[in-house]
Amino acid sequence: MSEQDFIVEMRGITRRFPGITACDGVSIQIRKGEIYAILGENGAGKSTLMSMLFGMIEPDEGEIYIRGKRERIDSPRRATQLSIGMVHQHFCLVSNYTVAENIILGMEPKKKWGFFPMVDIAGANAEVAALSERYGLKVNPEDVIEDLSVATQQRVEILKMLYREAEILIFDEPTAVLTPQEILAFLNIVRGLRDQGKTVILITHKLEEIKQVADRCAILRRGKLITVMDVSSSSTSDMARMMVGREVSFTTPKAPHDFGPAVLRLENLTVGNAVGCNAVNSVSFEVRAGEVLGIAGVSGNGQNELADSIMGLRKSQSGKIFLNGRDITGLSVRERVEAGIAYIPEDRHNVGLVLDFTLRDNLMLRQYYQAKFTHRHFMDEAAFEKYGEELIRRYDIRSNQGGATIVRSMSGGNQQKAIIARELDLKTPLVVFMQPTRGLDAGAVSNIHRRIIEERDRGAAVLLISLDLDEIMDCSDTVAVIFGGRISRIAPAASLTVDEIGLYMMGVRGGEVA
Amino acid sequence: MTELLNMVIIDGLSFALPLFIMAIGGIYSEKSGITNLALEGFQGVGAFAGAFAAVFLAQYTAGPMPCYFSFLFAMIGGGVFALLHALLCIRFRANQVISGVVMNILAVAMTTFLTKRINAAVFGNAGNKFMLGTIARFTVPGLSDIPVLGAIFTNVYPFEGFILVVAAVMSCVLYCTPFGLRLRACGDNPHAADAAGVDVNRVRTVAVVISGCLSGIAGMSFAYSISANFSADIFLGYGYLSIAALIFGNWTILPAFWACLLFGFAHSGGMALILRLGLPSSYNDLVRILPYVLTLVLLIFFSRHNRSPRALGEPYEKGKR
Amino acid sequence: MKFLRSLFFGDRFRMLRASFWALLFSLAAGALILFLMGKNPVSAYANLLQGAGLLPKLKYAGRQNQLTDFLSFLDAMTPMVFASLSVATALRAGFFNIAVPGQMLAAGFCAHIVMAALGDALPSPLAKILVLVIGIAVGAALSACMGWLKYRFNVNEVVTSIMLNSIVMYLVTFYINTFYVNPITRQSRPISDAARLTLSGVRWNGLKADFALAFPLAILAAFLLRTFLERTTYGFEIRALGLSRGAARYSGISLGQTTLLTMAISGALGGLAGVAYFCGCFASIQPGTMPGMGFDAIAVALLGGGQPLGCVFASFLITIISEGSVYMSSRLSVEPEIASLITSVILIFSACSASFGGRRGGHD
Repeated sequence: MSEQDFIVEMRGITRRFPGITACDGVSIQIRKGEIYAILGENGAGKSTLMSMLFGMIEPDEGEIYIRGKRERIDSPRRATQLSIGMVHQHFCLVSNYTVAENIILGMEPKKKWGFFPMVDIAGANAEVAALSERYGLKVNPEDVIEDLSVATQQRVEILKMLYREAEILIFDEPTAVLTPQEILAFLNIVRGLRDQGKTVILITHKLEEIKQVADRCAILRRGKLITVMDVSSSSTSDMARMMVGREVSFTTPKAPHDFGPAVLRLENLTVGNAVGCNAVNSVSFEVRAGEVLGIAGVSGNGQNELADSIMGLRKSQSGKIFLNGRDITGLSVRERVEAGIAYIPEDRHNVGLVLDFTLRDNLMLRQYYQAKFTHRHFMDEAAFEKYGEELIRRYDIRSNQGGATIVRSMSGGNQQKAIIARELDLKTPLVVFMQPTRGLDAGAVSNIHRRIIEERDRGAAVLLISLDLDEIMDCSDTVAVIFGGRISRIAPAASLTVDEIGLYMMGVRGGEVA
Repeated sequence: MTELLNMVIIDGLSFALPLFIMAIGGIYSEKSGITNLALEGFQGVGAFAGAFAAVFLAQYTAGPMPCYFSFLFAMIGGGVFALLHALLCIRFRANQVISGVVMNILAVAMTTFLTKRINAAVFGNAGNKFMLGTIARFTVPGLSDIPVLGAIFTNVYPFEGFILVVAAVMSCVLYCTPFGLRLRACGDNPHAADAAGVDVNRVRTVAVVISGCLSGIAGMSFAYSISANFSADIFLGYGYLSIAALIFGNWTILPAFWACLLFGFAHSGGMALILRLGLPSSYNDLVRILPYVLTLVLLIFFSRHNRSPRALGEPYEKGKR
Repeated sequence: MKFLRSLFFGDRFRMLRASFWALLFSLAAGALILFLMGKNPVSAYANLLQGAGLLPKLKYAGRQNQLTDFLSFLDAMTPMVFASLSVATALRAGFFNIAVPGQMLAAGFCAHIVMAALGDALPSPLAKILVLVIGIAVGAALSACMGWLKYRFNVNEVVTSIMLNSIVMYLVTFYINTFYVNPITRQSRPISDAARLTLSGVRWNGLKADFALAFPLAILAAFLLRTFLERTTYGFEIRALGLSRGAARYSGISLGQTTLLTMAISGALGGLAGVAYFCGCFASIQPGTMPGMGFDAIAVALLGGGQPLGCVFASFLITIISEGSVYMSSRLSVEPEIASLITSVILIFSACSASFGGRRGGHD
């Protein structure tokens, strides 16, 4: 095979960030018209590598060749000129624009009105409709983005690339927030794109998908390229071993045991969202002592509002919340913490931590005002320090300056450890985990899963809300599926299959409310 | 009574329209994602540049030329000064609120200093103001005879027509052109704009400069009407009023226009009332409060439902989210 | 060595370093302006220091010397310290208190009116204490209102501040011009010496000096504020709120209470600045103007890195410029407005000080 057959070639790419080398001398070659997967754990450097191909960041060392020609890609604009397109993990869409406006942004069709260049919005709508017809991507060009589901928004992102006549399509974790059925549909789209002659690069850590669609697969670990494999001739367990660097078991060991009395009980809870609609609609369920209740669902179906209202961060409109039989509906956040709720929030950076506080102060956020640590409103620095050091040791939180480290400078995994240390050390009867492993690497993930099971075995009631269905299936005793703000199915985890849950997540089934 | 009503309409419009053009400037800046408290400073510096041009040209030519050029120079002056705000907010990532306040302080200090210096060096007098006088008004024959509404076409300052034309053009640019589409995208999701090939920081810089130019028109209008000269008294806080107007208007142009009209009529209505009651001129200060109180009360009712541009006030950095 | 390294590169001295560069750049810019005007920048800056009583002048008028100049300097610095502390307090909780001018004017005005109504009924020490109390109460009340509007109705505090400034200014102007004007000076009638916070024109050792009684109070306030912010749970809550609203809410801090408390303290300090200015440095209020010091204080607080002691230091520097400018302009025959021009250049550089200190390390 000659050099010219590689549409993309990256040679010896290195990129450093303060304190970490995200990519270390990575070289890959991608053929025209193949589906090329980039596999690695979170933090392995796969997104960084592709951000360089798309011009979001520039490599410190190394060269990029596109169609055999050396190119310096210093901006997404340049990448677009080279007909490279990318769909990011968090979609890059203007929320108050229509589908068509988003797609044409930056390359607007114009019509002259006198000497005045005007956006030809009617022409744009027609063009987008034609494009979506051609590739079988169903969207209505005049819908406003913020009203659309995640899967539809993803289709808009794909159309955006196609509108720009991209030949090389990069997808960053495209299936992370889709239901199993949507994933199947997405994989079909990807195959269709390949059949139309496009080159597709998939960034992912899900082996199943790679096995299903990819032709070849590059495996990254800690910024280094481990190997490139032919997918058809290798097994998933081989790929997994290469990715993690050791044998992995996919399940967290969990001893069976009996549940205690109900700790958290919701009665017809209804919660509004920012716009004023009911995000959570008359939800009732209970979590018993020693039980992990996993709530599965596609993002934006009321999970945030549900967790926030249990914690008291958001007022419920009607319905009641009971903790150990006590009505806590009207209590403030602090009163609920004292009544016995710990909460690991989804958003580490804006909610879980004060990023510019020291680690020590962050570990104290729940207890700084208590008599142990404060005398007549004056904080006892020595007590802070002692408690902080103890938590740091017990939960193995690593940082460069111990308790005095500014949390912003810590790695995501250690930030999450700090939150978990602070919350779990309260030893509350109820623990709410909201997306606890988002963006963490496999080591940190299994550590957190182990903590979840420990809490359950301690006898706490655990509410685990996650978009990651594998995580739900792995940790939960009981699974509830939330769709459109309602619990559409609730059953013991062992009695449900992934496909069945997927149908409920999409609202295809769900007449029988438990 | 009719005379009084005519006066309210005539004075109200001549006060509201400069506010309106300034509010459009603010909308441009804020829709692109740059908080702009510096409108007050922009209009003052614009008025300074324009007034200087007018006084300078008046030495050589009579007639309307100095007046036309003064508006041109006011736009240039406001725009150049706005470039500094853009530089602070975009290049140096200064806090945009603080930068705005600082720009206003600088505007006052710089214009008073320069006015004195220029008066001494160029015109050879020791004054701290540029004397302008007011522009001649005109009345549209025919239309002005319509009862009540005729007042709209009576005793009109030429700049009012100019402002309406500019406002129409600028609305069109913001809502119908590719540039407008990109600008509004920068204020909602700059990452999306960047990914779509829009140079976010350049668009934002242009937006801030536009807001400076438009504010310059407003400042020059005030200098030619209310104050009849340029001095530090031009900094009366009207820039802040137009910010309030654009907040009510929910960052859209037409509702901001109604808000400006409301302020204008509150202002002129109060003045007319004082005149009618025959109170001494010190009561005018009491009336000047009206638009501000109105703003405060309306803000209480409207702030809940307002949606500011999502990326407002956040400096954009490549590759960071 | 380690200390030196942290001084130049570490996180701890980031703010200090930023302020230092801001100051250096702006003094250089000021020197450039002076140079372009054909003046000698070195002697201009020396004149500033002389005018502020930090260097001896060539000659003094009767009953005056360097000490009396320095005492006047402290007198002028007092309200600036209070005002910048006011801004800094709000800044720590993430609010912009742009209403300091309004708070100053309102507090000063109320003190004037109340003291005029009481006449000579109160003995001097009591009258002075009452003036302080009025300053605190009026400033705090006004500012707490803004905090309440912010919390309850989500009204942007910057806009309320600006509206409030104008409303207070026009109200005070109206009242003074209509009922309370001194026909000769066109200012408000002066406050009685018994109630005034500055002992003005005291004859002492053959000198005539001004003693700012509120100055020690301002320094004390700075130290108290530092302890309050760094060591108490209230301060912890205020700082948490300022750094992350979401995290503060999540950790059970009452946003409403903390907002109100912060704004009240900030307003109280703003009110103190007002009485120190209108009932101390000056004995009367000029209608139709806002104390520009209230705006300058925003930048002074920034220059001081938002830290109470930093504010004292920054006030010291800025007051040198404003106090010394009169002497400088008379010596060099330049417009006294050059002082506010240099001040605003300092403000600009301190506004973008974030990019001077070097960015914080870290990733993720």
